[in-house]
Amino acid sequence: MELTILTFLPTAAAAVIMVLPERLEQRARWVALAGSLATLVLSIVLFFQFDHGASGFQFTERRKWVDIGSFNLQYGLGVDGLSLPLVVLTTFLTVASTLVSFSITMRPRLYFAMLMLLSTSVLGVFMSLDFILFFLFWELELFPMFLLISIWGSGRKEYSATKFVLYTIAGSAFMLVGILVLAFSANTFDIEVLGRSNFVDTIIPLRWVFLFLFIGFAVKLPIVPLHTWLPDAHSDAPTAVSVMLAGVLLKMGGYGIIRIGVTILPGVADDYGIWFAAIGAISILYGAFVTLRQTDLKRLIAYSSVSHMGLVLLGIGALGKTSMIGATYQMLAHGVITGLLFVMVGLMYERTHTREIARLGGLARQMPLITAGMVFAGFASLGLPALPGFIAEVTVFLGSFQKYEWAVLMGIFGVVLSAGYILWTLQRTVFGPVRAEWDSVTDQNTWWEHSVVLGLVAAIILLGVYPALMMDVIGPAFDPIVARLGS
Amino acid sequence: MPFLAAEPITTLVPSISEGILWAIGASPFAAFVVIALSYRWFPKIAGYLAILGVGAAMVLAYVTLFNVIDADGGIAQYTHEWFRAGSLVVNLGVRVDGLTAIMLVAVTTVSFLVQVYSTGYMAGDPGIGRYFAYMCLFTTAMLGLVLADNLFMLFIFWELVGLSSYLLIGFWYHRPAAAAAAKKAFIVTRVGDLGLLAAILLIWTRTPTHTFDIATIQQVAANHQVAQWVITWFALGVLAGAIGKSAQFPLHVWLPDAMEGPTPVSALIHAATMVVAGVYLVARFFPVFEASPDARQVVAWVGAITAIMAACIALVQTDFKRVLAYSTISQLGYMMLALGAFGYAAAIFHLFTNAFFKALLFLGSGSVNHSTNTFDMRKMGGLRKAMPITFWTFVIASLSLAGIFPLAGFWSKDEILLDAWRDNRALWAAAFAGAFLTAFYMFRAIFLTFFGDYKGGEPVDHHDPENHFHGDPAHPHESPWSMAGPLLVLAVPAVAVGWFAYRDAFADFVNGALPAVEESGSSFEWGIAISSTIVALAGIGLAYAVYYKEWVTSKSLREGFAPLTILFENKFYLDRLYEDFFVRTVLQRGWNRLLELNDKYVVDGIVNGTGQLGRELSQRLRIVQNGQLQTYGLGFAAGVIILVLAVFTANPL
Repeated sequence: MELTILTFLPTAAAAVIMVLPERLEQRARWVALAGSLATLVLSIVLFFQFDHGASGFQFTERRKWVDIGSFNLQYGLGVDGLSLPLVVLTTFLTVASTLVSFSITMRPRLYFAMLMLLSTSVLGVFMSLDFILFFLFWELELFPMFLLISIWGSGRKEYSATKFVLYTIAGSAFMLVGILVLAFSANTFDIEVLGRSNFVDTIIPLRWVFLFLFIGFAVKLPIVPLHTWLPDAHSDAPTAVSVMLAGVLLKMGGYGIIRIGVTILPGVADDYGIWFAAIGAISILYGAFVTLRQTDLKRLIAYSSVSHMGLVLLGIGALGKTSMIGATYQMLAHGVITGLLFVMVGLMYERTHTREIARLGGLARQMPLITAGMVFAGFASLGLPALPGFIAEVTVFLGSFQKYEWAVLMGIFGVVLSAGYILWTLQRTVFGPVRAEWDSVTDQNTWWEHSVVLGLVAAIILLGVYPALMMDVIGPAFDPIVARLGS
Repeated sequence: MPFLAAEPITTLVPSISEGILWAIGASPFAAFVVIALSYRWFPKIAGYLAILGVGAAMVLAYVTLFNVIDADGGIAQYTHEWFRAGSLVVNLGVRVDGLTAIMLVAVTTVSFLVQVYSTGYMAGDPGIGRYFAYMCLFTTAMLGLVLADNLFMLFIFWELVGLSSYLLIGFWYHRPAAAAAAKKAFIVTRVGDLGLLAAILLIWTRTPTHTFDIATIQQVAANHQVAQWVITWFALGVLAGAIGKSAQFPLHVWLPDAMEGPTPVSALIHAATMVVAGVYLVARFFPVFEASPDARQVVAWVGAITAIMAACIALVQTDFKRVLAYSTISQLGYMMLALGAFGYAAAIFHLFTNAFFKALLFLGSGSVNHSTNTFDMRKMGGLRKAMPITFWTFVIASLSLAGIFPLAGFWSKDEILLDAWRDNRALWAAAFAGAFLTAFYMFRAIFLTFFGDYKGGEPVDHHDPENHFHGDPAHPHESPWSMAGPLLVLAVPAVAVGWFAYRDAFADFVNGALPAVEESGSSFEWGIAISSTIVALAGIGLAYAVYYKEWVTSKSLREGFAPLTILFENKFYLDRLYEDFFVRTVLQRGWNRLLELNDKYVVDGIVNGTGQLGRELSQRLRIVQNGQLQTYGLGFAAGVIILVLAVFTANPL
């Protein structure tokens, strides 16, 4: 029951928001904040109640849903060491997104309701134990995202929103085929049961099934060359949506590859591992090279995300316990770090109304606090040691080195390139001669801005200096997978 | 005193408690945290907090030193698990031995004096709180680096040192040159760090126990428990990291630019402590280099090339601080050369002596700048009368650097020359030539700065809101006691620390950090000592002839060596090659642009093209959806028949 409450608490908040009378519509943000905070607290409580040493799902709940012959669908939720950290990340970033949206006054009821719905759909994806339920949550996320980008976005927002939806749907079409083939040949939609089943080639070979599933997830991650929706979606989305998009939506891709692809078809994953490593390494480098060319701050961070997500795929491809823990940790690290980066850029944009790097410069004088946050986030993003990006990076590299030396040696060049694009960006935006143009702008100055920045900074430091907190939870989740891979 | 007794290495373990070792790093860190939280409201106390925090670390460092001396340079180590992921187990631990103790003392002593000096030099700067916070962060990182007992933790502090260097070089961030130099320093050193990271990956993967522990790695390499290629590549990777951090050829280009930072920063970080981290790292893994003759050769020649190249560039610099910067690079090259020539103790000895006289030189240049508002030697001259303390301490440090008996630099440089002589005559010749150049460029700087007539300094630009210069550059004066005091204090070790060479006390002490030491004979030989003194005096004499007596003008000298001097003045064109050619042209305008265009036209071309296609197809397909049920039924039936046929063809009965 706890997980159902957790999943639908944001929806309940959305419902309350939608029935607010018009004269109270500016209160919508408070309802959203209350709802998201309650969800966060609940997820943290569950995190500490969770049996950290154990593998397998906990807090599971299953209810019959559709039962027609062999077509058995259930409403099933559960968390294990892989999903629980991602759940906490989602609830945490939902609070952050709500806070950075506090200045939104245009149609606030719809806005905050959609933000809450988005949270529910992502939580649902991470906790579903049933294939169809998983797919429904996966698709549900498109609806709030489309509205949030196309109504509250900027620039070519309709184009970007449509591109985002079409890309995902094209991927999900493949994924659905893969899901149905697996479910029908195993006669169950239960992800936990599927994870213990052995499959043989049917009319569609398993390699194809895996590929279909992978395409759906790879679009989301994203990998090169399925990534071009991401810069567009980010640059035209409002700040909070960028935070959610980079922070948790991309992780649905990585989560899916591990939970559905690797867990259910470990043998095939092993065959494809070398391709994952190659695509991962290419994504790291390609993303970083193109990042160096960007002139728009949000597109720049978006491309850097492509690079950072390549690391996730590399870690998964090596299929070792260490490398997959590293990949999972990278998802958490990237979530909080890129979340903070987008928050800082958002604060800057709200004040200067530009994301054009060439127009910025010298902001350290006018915005010392925003600059401090930006520099911190930048160094976290380039993998400064004792911050989580570094821990994840090194764990993936160490875990993958034995198997795919060449891919790791390609990937570590990303370390220099990321230092290049981050520091060059800092030099051109916050450092350098002070510009009189921005003399009248304010620094970070509201309580919600202070709290969201401080909260993210604290989370980044916590994950950086105390990795065992999450690693000890993540680790056991991979034991069954590694055991299946070994056999 | 056991320190001076030339006893064989024993296996005594220092009795120093773990808490003290952690406290050495923790006290500047505490100062950092308190300053960072308070400086917006209380900027004035930041300097005192820094002095307090670093001072406490210094006291503890001396306690540690004497403790290790009592144990005859034995090793103490304390380790705790930090986190684990599968087979990866990462520990946090401290290790103290002779090498660590020497580093702790050098770092904290210089840092302490630089903090004191900074209270004078940085007075009036609006960013003073931020300045001391960064300085404490740096000191913490540097101490963590030398205390680390494993490679993972060492790498963490290695990068944090890079971070604080970045922040301090770019301290005056509104200056474009400072912002650019900070970025350059971080990125160039990161290129070297790639090698170090790869070395860490390699050694962790290949050691049977999957470890980062320094002592274990030393033993694994010394006993050849891994393949030879692993040892060699690991050593080369470590060397790559050292080349970046210690500004060795071909990654030295960041250090001269780093002089954009405040001068006390240059003294502490870019002369005495951080830049020797690379030398420290190679020394730490000395047994690995001993096990790989190829890697050791590379170390020696990287050092030799760097020592000569940087000395040549120093000859033609007009900026006081840049002369010192190239001198630093050159001296670091000496240390590398020594390591490559089996001169482990000589290298650390030179690292130790250099820390004091090089810090003194930089602080002296800062003192000159404080009174003339410039680093351009063409605008100085005759300062010896106005600034006697600065002048005399600077001369002492220069003599020490040039290797004049009986100053500190003489002893350490002689050991390097001796080790080079024993290993390879070509290395010795390079080091010998370098000694001549060193003496010449240092005294060229002294004659230009302190002798002749004063040329007025740089007038204060009162319209520049960022300028906080106090005083009148037209009338130079000695610096306040907060600055002159540290100069006088540093002059003592710049003279005397070389005397620890007596009866090989220093060498025996640091050798305790190694698993096994080969006896290489006495560390003093008359021939080496006399020849090096003669060559140093010759360098000083030439500088005297050209820049004081002007028997030969520098202009005719420059023209006489025309192609060479132009090469030196352009720093061998390496910056141009890296920045203009490689980064701007090849990478940004070429390769990266190509990939960007690929995204825009090829990938998005396909995506948008598919969308376009879909729209056109749907136009055509509208004909099919004509609302007539018969047509749908026909299509449905045909579809079923095709499917059935397909299934039966694929799975024949």
